[in-house]
Amino acid sequence: MLIMRHELLLIAITVILLLVEIFLPGDKKSRVITLAILLMTAVLILGFVPGPSGTLFGGMYQTTALISMLKNILNIGALIVMIQSADWLRKPENKEKISEYYILLLSTLIGMQYMLSSGDFLMFYLGLELATIPLAALAAFERFKEKSAEAGVKFIFSSALSSGILLYGLSMIYGTTGTLYFAEVGPAFTGTPLQVLGFIFFFAGMAFKISLVPFHLWTADVYEGAPVNISSYLSVVSKGAAAFILTILLFTVFSKIALMWSNVLYIIIILTITMGNLFAIRQQNLKRFLAFSSIAQAGFILLGIIGQSQYGMTTVIYFVLVYIFSNLGAFGVVSIISNRTGCETINDYDGLYRTNPRLAMMMMLSLFSLAGIPPVAGFFGKFFLFAAAANHGLYILVLIAIINTIISLYYYLLVIKAMFLNRSDRPIPKFKSDFYTSLGLILCLAGIFAVGIASTIFEAINGLSFGLY
Amino acid sequence: MSAESLILFFIVGAFLVGIALLFSSLVPPTSTNSQKAEAYECGIPTEGITWLQFNVGYYLFAIIFLVFDVETVFIFPWAIMMKSMGMTAFIEIIIFFFVLGVGLLYAWKKGALKWE
Amino acid sequence: MFSNYIFYFLSALALYSSVMVLLSKKPIHSVLYLTLTFFAIGGHYILLNAQFLAIVHIIVYAGAIMVLFLFTVMLLNLNKEERSPKPIWVKAAAILAGIMLGLVLIGVFRGYDLRLIQHPMESQIGLVKELGKILYRDYMLPFEVSSILFLTAMVGAVLLGKKEQI
Repeated sequence: MLIMRHELLLIAITVILLLVEIFLPGDKKSRVITLAILLMTAVLILGFVPGPSGTLFGGMYQTTALISMLKNILNIGALIVMIQSADWLRKPENKEKISEYYILLLSTLIGMQYMLSSGDFLMFYLGLELATIPLAALAAFERFKEKSAEAGVKFIFSSALSSGILLYGLSMIYGTTGTLYFAEVGPAFTGTPLQVLGFIFFFAGMAFKISLVPFHLWTADVYEGAPVNISSYLSVVSKGAAAFILTILLFTVFSKIALMWSNVLYIIIILTITMGNLFAIRQQNLKRFLAFSSIAQAGFILLGIIGQSQYGMTTVIYFVLVYIFSNLGAFGVVSIISNRTGCETINDYDGLYRTNPRLAMMMMLSLFSLAGIPPVAGFFGKFFLFAAAANHGLYILVLIAIINTIISLYYYLLVIKAMFLNRSDRPIPKFKSDFYTSLGLILCLAGIFAVGIASTIFEAINGLSFGLY
Repeated sequence: MSAESLILFFIVGAFLVGIALLFSSLVPPTSTNSQKAEAYECGIPTEGITWLQFNVGYYLFAIIFLVFDVETVFIFPWAIMMKSMGMTAFIEIIIFFFVLGVGLLYAWKKGALKWE
Repeated sequence: MFSNYIFYFLSALALYSSVMVLLSKKPIHSVLYLTLTFFAIGGHYILLNAQFLAIVHIIVYAGAIMVLFLFTVMLLNLNKEERSPKPIWVKAAAILAGIMLGLVLIGVFRGYDLRLIQHPMESQIGLVKELGKILYRDYMLPFEVSSILFLTAMVGAVLLGKKEQI
């Protein structure tokens, strides 16, 4: 029981929320927000209590101190998203659906945690589906808006396709190794052509979820159409979970073909970072802008994986942690402004500093962190990733990544320029954020600084990570 | 009964039906004219597109039905293995039922089972 | 071997009907061909001595899922073909990609020693008893997690499908 504590706690609060939704009279629905956030906070805190590690169900489920920590990181991201959603959920058209929102969000989190803890490809696949299907419903949450419905449809189609490809790859791996348990697939995975093809399909399926180029085409449309908070959840928690499990699987099950997958990653990293950056420059809508920026960030995450070392895994986890805070900070600002005014393009943000200086500052710090400018955590995250790849001798790759960082600086600064320097005839009016929005943004702000300064965090992650050599 | 004979059974069955249809189309006298091609030989001829859009309610019912359809699929092996597996299998299915039962309760409460 | 012929017959049927799913002009015909594909694959399950899976496949896929497909077709009023014509280079790229994927698959499967698979048609694993044992012992956790998946599917369906109460 204690081994599976993270998942069981989440299942428990999901069922509690469902029962509350069933038995609570209609006029008290908005209290669910507070209840859900309190319950999730409790789960987050309980998750940090050290517990036993081990395997269950004959190797079907496994957990280690590393996996527990990854789950805690995901819990943090999910909690911040839940807090940031409060303002949007209070809108009259969403009032009837508050519990559903949290239930679906939590069930995707359950899926991700089972995915991380799986010891078997079947369990992994089930976790992946549980992490994906409710997200389609969430993307179409504002179903009477055409864009939102379109986002849901696009998301379910592309994720169904990618799941199908992934499953086909798994069937090849099963056909050649005769087993689905990670512990047994690993030694039997010698790299015969069929196994390699199976791996390629598997990797393509995962690349869809992390939205790597050339599997990224769904990203911008879905992020633009879906509610802002769902876009931020997709770009941070969902992507982070997929990156974590991909790292773990590449380092364990597919370790024998490390040479091959690092070649694949090499090309994909260059493509992803470059395409993500170049397309981000052209975007006017901030949600699309952040979508392409998140594609580029996904490419950076892979830099740590290609490092193949213990240090590399540490940097991946550390970067995702930083990325959670910085991206959620940026999305949080976009979310509150979109809720209050409906403005989503960069031009609308002209002169934001004059009317809403705090939001503008918050946005600036988040974008600095995403770009990797020294005082904030994003700089350390990127720097460590580069170091991990450079340690492996991939200097050209690191050079390309650094050039891309400079390009990314340009477009992040465009937004900052709009907020601080541009003048506008119709600036976004001044408004007061409610308690939850402020809380969410303050948490992100604290994260952006604390994770960068506290080196103990990096060392704690490093103590738990493992590498290929 | 082996698998081959089972499949052969289906194939022969399909074959026999085909023969019967073929036979009945060959033997009786046939006549064709334009009126016989109409959908209704009496009554008002249809105009425009006869397709109409279905109510989305059907879909909701179908998807809830699907969930319980799959549930019954899981019950079959359980019912057969119940005796030899003992208590564990029983507890497993109880948990399974509980979760789905909550789901049904939810759908009920939300009025998804009501036709409107 | 007699079962070999049945295998080839069913495979040909499955291939034909799945190609026809794509080629049919009317969505309804596609759906009906898809049903035929499911039946052919159900036949394959029987050949592999997995009667229970065959029945489940027909009940769930040819029964319930087909109903969903048909509803969708009726719901969207898809009786006409309304495909936007694709530019020629998209078609060329698709054909090229398809050929390349086909070549890779042929190359990969040619190199694979099929004799490694021993007597697939005498396996006992698909019988309902064996399935029950495996499902409720080894695959206990996925079984329970699948119930949560059903639950969320239901919540999502109710959320999206219900008429707004205002």
